[in-house]
Amino acid sequence: MEKINVVIGVIGADVHAVGNRIIDYAFSQAGFNVINLGVMVSQKEFMDAAIETNAKAIIVSSLYGHGELDCRGMGDMLKEAGLEDVLLYIGGNLVVGKSDFSEVEKLFKSMGFNRVYPPGADINQGIEDLKNDLKEKGIYA
Amino acid sequence: MPNFCLFDVGSTYTKGCIVDTDQEIILAQASDFTTSSTDISIGIEKVKQKMFKDITVHIDKTYVCSSAKGGLKMIAIGLVPDLTLKAAQLACYSAGAKVIKSYSFELNQKELDEIENSNCDILLLSGGTDGGNTSSVRHNANQLIKLKSRFPIIYAGNKSCQDEIKTQLEQVGFECILCANVMPSYGILEVDECKNKIRELFLKSIVKAKGLSQLNEVIDEIVLPTPLSVFEALKLLSKGTKNESGIGDLIAIDIGGATTDVYSMNEKLVVNEEFGYKGLQEPLEKRSVEGDLGLRYSASHVYELKTDLHSTEFDAYINEINNNPHLSSNIELDTQLASTCVDIATQRHVGRLETSYTPMGISYYQTGKDCRNVKQCIGIGGPIIYNPNARSILSQCLTKPNQKDILLPIECEFYLDKDYLISCLGLLSKQYPDVVIRILKKKLEKLNHV
Repeated sequence: MEKINVVIGVIGADVHAVGNRIIDYAFSQAGFNVINLGVMVSQKEFMDAAIETNAKAIIVSSLYGHGELDCRGMGDMLKEAGLEDVLLYIGGNLVVGKSDFSEVEKLFKSMGFNRVYPPGADINQGIEDLKNDLKEKGIYA
Repeated sequence: MPNFCLFDVGSTYTKGCIVDTDQEIILAQASDFTTSSTDISIGIEKVKQKMFKDITVHIDKTYVCSSAKGGLKMIAIGLVPDLTLKAAQLACYSAGAKVIKSYSFELNQKELDEIENSNCDILLLSGGTDGGNTSSVRHNANQLIKLKSRFPIIYAGNKSCQDEIKTQLEQVGFECILCANVMPSYGILEVDECKNKIRELFLKSIVKAKGLSQLNEVIDEIVLPTPLSVFEALKLLSKGTKNESGIGDLIAIDIGGATTDVYSMNEKLVVNEEFGYKGLQEPLEKRSVEGDLGLRYSASHVYELKTDLHSTEFDAYINEINNNPHLSSNIELDTQLASTCVDIATQRHVGRLETSYTPMGISYYQTGKDCRNVKQCIGIGGPIIYNPNARSILSQCLTKPNQKDILLPIECEFYLDKDYLISCLGLLSKQYPDVVIRILKKKLEKLNHV
């Protein structure tokens, strides 16, 4: 069976590359075909890559605190592009100054993200979640 | 080594030269008006007579490259405009073709009608990385089979569905040639196989369809579309061979009546390792064609782009050109038009440097090609080589003080292909690469400061 394509990258003007490499490694090890767009990735790049590669999920990282601004409108854009079935995850240091993560999670879910992870989240949790979410859609990784 | 007679049959002129590959010299060269609207061989005969007027020499082989009858006209189809469509266009250009229409995403009826009436020679269908999207190429193949006109289709999309698409297209009478995906994975460009398939098709069917095969009596082989011949010669000149060193990175500009072609040959895509690279990887050897920039058929468009040129005298000249594209040149005004063509065409050809002010400091990333270190610029084609202001026209390819983000050359030596040798010599690039390089090194004319 062909591997499932997953697009990953660090959004906005964020250049934190370490987490990006860990995600690349972990998801590849877990059997996914990872299309890694690297750092400083725009919304449009995520969208274009997902269309061409027929990706089933987009995993966005953001570490520098401007994630909210960078991700604004992203869920809607993907819907417009016909990618409403693509799972959209985000993780990292998403906002500055809000300590209550449940609020952050609520905010990003309202922006169209399916899963939101706090700083220090276990990567294996993300992999498990993705497998389960795909299974729910009838896709087996 | 033998003597060759080489011709470049163009839309306006037929150019020819005789090369002695032993002595590595040009024995004769000449040009005359093309006769492509009637019988191309008449023009070739005329040029031949001119060349043989003063010399007697045995010719072993005669080769021709051609851009007559509109050149090689292609349609490119991709999925996302910045990705597979761009990859498809780059493949067409590097094969020496003219892209007359480009389509992204799913074809609709209006676009299908355009294709029906386009009179294209070859259609390149791409879309999706290998293992990626299949719905768009499937949809587009389903649309194409509704067409009444027939032309060869090269399929260079997602490999997962190539067989079913080939079967489907062949069932309705299209010739379908499979080739490697132009973008096999995200951002990776793979045009070489596609380029070869286009060339094979050009030789096999296009030459015949364009009535060029009547030439077979006067020549031995139609080897290449002219832009591909130019491309191969420039690539050799830049890279060299194991026996003969190349001249390194270069940029070349060919302004015609309707289009402006820009070629760049580089050793590296990202020169400054500190820059990140974004988007589709561009080829180290790149050709781009600007269909809206030229000195005759596109002159009024060029004039509109450059409002600071506007004057009553210029208005009148543009009007005259529109009424008569064969109008003889007003040097001063043509210089200004040509300068605009070079300025815009090279800006479109090269990449950009984006600056991002991040919380961690300034970051740079590059899209497209970095030509800032290119030190040599070559002018090709009538409008440049006959213009006394060639140097000033070509110097428009240099970076401007307020546009540091556009990755144009910073300083260049300028050269002219004074004797129309590049397109002809490209025909020998496979057989006598060393000779081609050495002759070009000798014969390209360096332009000094005036």
